[in-house]
Amino acid sequence: MMLRESQIMKIHYVTGIAAIFVVAVHIMMRLIMPFGMSLEYDNVIANYHNIPYVVLLESILVLIAIHGFNGLRVILLELRQSKSWEDGVTILTIAAMMAVVAYGTRTIIIANGLGFE
Amino acid sequence: MEVDRSNREGLKGWLNPGRYGWERVSYWLQRLTGVGLLAYFVGHIFETSSLTQGPDAWAAMLELTQTPTGHMILLLVIGMSTYHSANGVRLIFTHGGKGLGKPGRPDYPYDAVSLNYKQRSGIWIALILAATAMLYGASVLFGGE
Repeated sequence: MMLRESQIMKIHYVTGIAAIFVVAVHIMMRLIMPFGMSLEYDNVIANYHNIPYVVLLESILVLIAIHGFNGLRVILLELRQSKSWEDGVTILTIAAMMAVVAYGTRTIIIANGLGFE
Repeated sequence: MEVDRSNREGLKGWLNPGRYGWERVSYWLQRLTGVGLLAYFVGHIFETSSLTQGPDAWAAMLELTQTPTGHMILLLVIGMSTYHSANGVRLIFTHGGKGLGKPGRPDYPYDAVSLNYKQRSGIWIALILAATAMLYGASVLFGGE
């Protein structure tokens, strides 16, 4: 299925706006206690055992990966235009996006405890 | 036959702020901050993956990132993300036709109606918000808590 650029830009805007809200919550979670303490191993793992927070982390991962790699694709397409370049950039950015989402999801699943013991 | 329509100016044309004033500065700041934030995002995913190797690996990663240099990078990320978000919201409105003004007769010196005070105010608000967020971030990161 091919998406039109106008549809891709709508997705870009929606993911960008949504990312502002979820990242704001993510940052606030670091500020509910002294910053250094919030980064202690037990506190961070406790975050990953909190299911609503896990959902938030996964949504941050997906939203920013889509927004960020599409942004990179747009920048690269602005610099140069040809069929092979555009296809190559699109394939590479989608592959990179999927790899980052997969790797981040792996961390979330393991830290959530599914991979422990 | 496929025609290669390469951008003849390439990066030089992309980064040149001379021809379009603040709007051009905003254009490339949006892109530079976007690329910077994407690099940080990928680095952050890698950084947090050390959690899966246990407390020692996490402590070793914190030793690497929770340093004055690491905090300076984090401050830069705070500034970049605030600017990128605020300017991004301005761009969404602009692409929707809001704040562009009404088309007028092209009289000399041909100032574009779309490059108006609303747009420039938006750029300045984004810069001021970024500076404010960086100041608050500095108070948290270097505040000694």
